[in-house]
Amino acid sequence: MVVKVEGLVKRYDKLVALDYLDLQVEEGEIFGLLGPNGSGKTTAINCILSLLKYDKGSIQIFGKPMGPDAYDIKKDIGIIMQNVAVFDELTVYENISYFCSLYIKDKAEVKRLTKEAIEFVSLEEFQKFYPKKLSGGLLRRLNIACGIVHKPKLIILDEPTVAVDPQSRNKILEGIKKLNEEGATIIYTSHYMEEVEQLCSNIAIIDKGRVIAKGTKDDLKAMISIGEKISMEVYNFNDEQYNDIRKLPGIYSVDYHDNLLEIKSGKGKNNIVEVLEFMGQRNIGFGRVITEMPTLNDVFLEITGKELRD
Amino acid sequence: MSFQLYCTRLKCLFRNRENMFWCYMFPILLATCFFFAFNNLYKVEDFETIQIAYDNEGQEADAFKELLSTAKMSDDKLMFDITYCDKTKAKQLLENGNIEAYIVGSENPMLYVKENGLNETIIKSFLDNYKQMSGTVETILKENPNAIKEGLLDDVMQYKEFIDEVKSDKNPDSLLIYFYSLMAYTCIFAANWGLDEVANIQANLSGRGARMSVSSINKMKLFVCNLLAAFTAQLGSMILLFLYMFYIIKVDFGENLGYLLIICLIGSFTGLALGGTVGVWVKKKAEVKEAILTLIVLGGGFLSGMMIADMKVIIAEKFPLLGYINPVNLVADAMYSLYYFDTYDRFYLDVVILGIITVVLCIASYVGIRRKNYASI
Repeated sequence: MVVKVEGLVKRYDKLVALDYLDLQVEEGEIFGLLGPNGSGKTTAINCILSLLKYDKGSIQIFGKPMGPDAYDIKKDIGIIMQNVAVFDELTVYENISYFCSLYIKDKAEVKRLTKEAIEFVSLEEFQKFYPKKLSGGLLRRLNIACGIVHKPKLIILDEPTVAVDPQSRNKILEGIKKLNEEGATIIYTSHYMEEVEQLCSNIAIIDKGRVIAKGTKDDLKAMISIGEKISMEVYNFNDEQYNDIRKLPGIYSVDYHDNLLEIKSGKGKNNIVEVLEFMGQRNIGFGRVITEMPTLNDVFLEITGKELRD
Repeated sequence: MSFQLYCTRLKCLFRNRENMFWCYMFPILLATCFFFAFNNLYKVEDFETIQIAYDNEGQEADAFKELLSTAKMSDDKLMFDITYCDKTKAKQLLENGNIEAYIVGSENPMLYVKENGLNETIIKSFLDNYKQMSGTVETILKENPNAIKEGLLDDVMQYKEFIDEVKSDKNPDSLLIYFYSLMAYTCIFAANWGLDEVANIQANLSGRGARMSVSSINKMKLFVCNLLAAFTAQLGSMILLFLYMFYIIKVDFGENLGYLLIICLIGSFTGLALGGTVGVWVKKKAEVKEAILTLIVLGGGFLSGMMIADMKVIIAEKFPLLGYINPVNLVADAMYSLYYFDTYDRFYLDVVILGIITVVLCIASYVGIRRKNYASI
């Protein structure tokens, strides 16, 4: 096990930021820490990295207790913070080289690793640029390069795609997958469920400092009663029809607004067929029909009663 | 590795344009301003003999007339070029601009001027001094007619200094206070470098600090590298300012340049430690910390006479403790004592107090910096 967190409690006066948090991250996985803003993700990461004091609990990394002076553990950790943390006075190359030299003594090795990191984040053309001349996306890539340049075994990314354009976001996500393929264990925190769903092999959903659900994305979706989500464009839909469709077997909830009928059904194979038959029998005209599997947001919604982005 | 970190940090500091301006350019600009604003103000050789007229109203034995005609601006320059005439003629000369003032009467001389100016002020001061002196003599003679015989008047006519310090042959020069205060201000301005270095190393102060704290390098080792880089940059600014003052605007630093270097080094270190302490212990935004430091450094400069030279004297007389805890004043005072006194007692006193302040600030910074994890970030 790469990271083992047990019973972690962190309080800010009366506010409980982490409430007996337990996490286990296995070697070679991309572990997603998903939760809304203020749920305790960054606090958990800062405690794991020994930047924050905590009130109770234990943290082990690579099987050893983690502490501020655990330099032998720290040398194998790479951190990419939510906010870009680079020097404005140094060029892209110099920044990456500087952060590399915090870990590596050999000058030639620093040079080689810096070059590799620049290639990895595709910043070759911008090597001599100062951070202020870079766009938001390029700056994020520089931030990532500074965090992974020393080839860490464990990489922690704390919301690395906040305020990033879609192109750079895809590039970042591809890069994370590549790092994982090369052998790094990844902890990825985000409130973007799509990213976590796309990227992570194991996910912990966190709210109010507690892990409320964990497992693979399929495990998590299996935990809830919704099996399918059907969305239909319907232009005339009255209250009687609304009440009748709710009575269909397997229907979990129905919502109609802005000419869009949203039906959440339980697990089963013929939900869409039954709904379409119902529409046909009642001569209810409809346009586009979309069926979706439940998302992590639905998981979060069912467990907590609120949206992930609330 | 340490040298590489030191060099990179130095590169960062030298590329920070804002810091470079305030630490390198601003003191030089200020020194230049002082030079042009005050340089000629105190030089006696630049004063011209003042044209005046004098009407002694027919007095035959006129001591005042003799005093006027012999008063000197400097060893080889008379203070007044006197036209002896009656009041009407003198008035006409004044109207025509041929003279700057005229004096009427010898026992109670009256001054007539057309406008206010430096020369008019000099003449008035001269007259006031004369009146005060003659009044004193008159009173003494009234009380004790034998005063002349007893030699009591000799004392009245002499100026005495009642200062215990051992002075050199140099005259007090208030212009130097401006330049020394500026040097001292530049030393203590190192506080800004100290603030930056603390922010860069503390996880609770910056993202960079968090990244450094997570890295496998020892925090103190990195801090020392960064601090040395900041100290180097600070020394650079001090040396540049010194060379500019010494060679370009010819400020007289006396003969103790070695001691001057020592006080500059200590002062710079005090500045770094001050910035570090404010950075670690003031739990406010970076802008607030910068404002506090600016207030301390600029306020310290003001109280040490950087803006008004007399302020240094006022503080020394009215609030001496403030002078002793103001690092800018201590550095400036140490420099001035090197120039003015032949002994080093005052210099050593300043150095010891500054040293104590520096040690206290260093301990305060260290206690804050040695923390490796925080209650909140």
